[in-house]
Amino acid sequence: MMNEIDDKKFEDELMAQAQKLSASVMPERDLWPDIERTITASTKRGRSAWNTVWAQAAAVILLVGGSSGLTYLTMSDSEDATVPGIAETPVLVFEQASADFGSQYTLGPDYQDARHGLATQLDERLASLSPEARAEVVANMETIREAIDDINRALTEEPDNVLLQELLIDTYRDELSIMMQVDEIMGAAMRRGDI
Amino acid sequence: MQAALPANTGTSEVVVVALEADTAAAELRWVRKAQEADSSAFEKLYRAHIGRVYGLCLRMTGNPSEAEDCAQEAFIQAWNKLDKFRGDSAFGTWLHRVAVNVVLGRMRKSKREQDRIRAVSDVAPVRQTVADDGELRDLEQAINELPSGARHVFVLNAVYGYSHGETGSMLGIAEGTSKAQLSRARRLLVQQLESGHDERD
Repeated sequence: MMNEIDDKKFEDELMAQAQKLSASVMPERDLWPDIERTITASTKRGRSAWNTVWAQAAAVILLVGGSSGLTYLTMSDSEDATVPGIAETPVLVFEQASADFGSQYTLGPDYQDARHGLATQLDERLASLSPEARAEVVANMETIREAIDDINRALTEEPDNVLLQELLIDTYRDELSIMMQVDEIMGAAMRRGDI
Repeated sequence: MQAALPANTGTSEVVVVALEADTAAAELRWVRKAQEADSSAFEKLYRAHIGRVYGLCLRMTGNPSEAEDCAQEAFIQAWNKLDKFRGDSAFGTWLHRVAVNVVLGRMRKSKREQDRIRAVSDVAPVRQTVADDGELRDLEQAINELPSGARHVFVLNAVYGYSHGETGSMLGIAEGTSKAQLSRARRLLVQQLESGHDERD
């Protein structure tokens, strides 16, 4: 019994002593230079990744611009088949902060109009393709549009996920690429037919 | 302002409270700047907290070199996660949580903890933690020789003053487990210190 009391007393003294231990202990060397080097590098990497997104966005702009120019050529009167000047090329703008395309940026209205125009033309021109080619294009477009829907769903849960945003841009680019290919093939065929 | 304070509040206590408020306000400003990628503001946070973060890592790992790595990693992770700090707790508490996670993560990943326990008898007392007082020096050494579970709880609860709820949350254990580990730590420390005294006698 006496021992138990002594032990309890000793334990209490121990806890009191523990509180006297200094909570702050300085390391032998300054860790800041290594930390600074690492965080500076990571900040630069972050910025670099962000630049890549914008570079990809710019690539989509160029792609849509080129496609729209091509569409313009295809759809305009054949007797006026001159290449439009740069100033006439649709200007596609990425706008900040919309839930449609991640939290950071969204496709601008001109892009959406151009995409909608190409999609409409695609439907019209699919009828002119051979059944095999049509089936292949339709299958590819379905796959891509399902992917776009999936990515957008994921982005609603993680709107700041840069990788998802990059993936969405890539997928839109794939979609445009197919639409452009069909546009080019059919446009060329129509022009040959005119000759 | 002073009229609102309890009657026995002395001027020095008012000054301390004011200083603490200033420090907290300054710290919040540094945090906000650091959240905007201002590394010089983050350096101020590092200077203000490195002692407690390193001390915690040192006592949890029992190894100065490992503690330096952990403290460094903790600050790097804190920088990367700063946008997640919303100010619900003090920045120092949040930083301690990051440091504890770093220590536990490193221990899980490697066998160093086992190596440390095996080698502990060969390791010299941790010089930086040793107080001038002989009894405190003995206590530091005894803490260092505790099994990791009991040591982590003892360090967070008894040395750094976290409640069992906070300690359990930091270590990912139940509050009851934290209490049990503290009790075990106290018992083991008493045994170690008593045997040390007996040997000297």
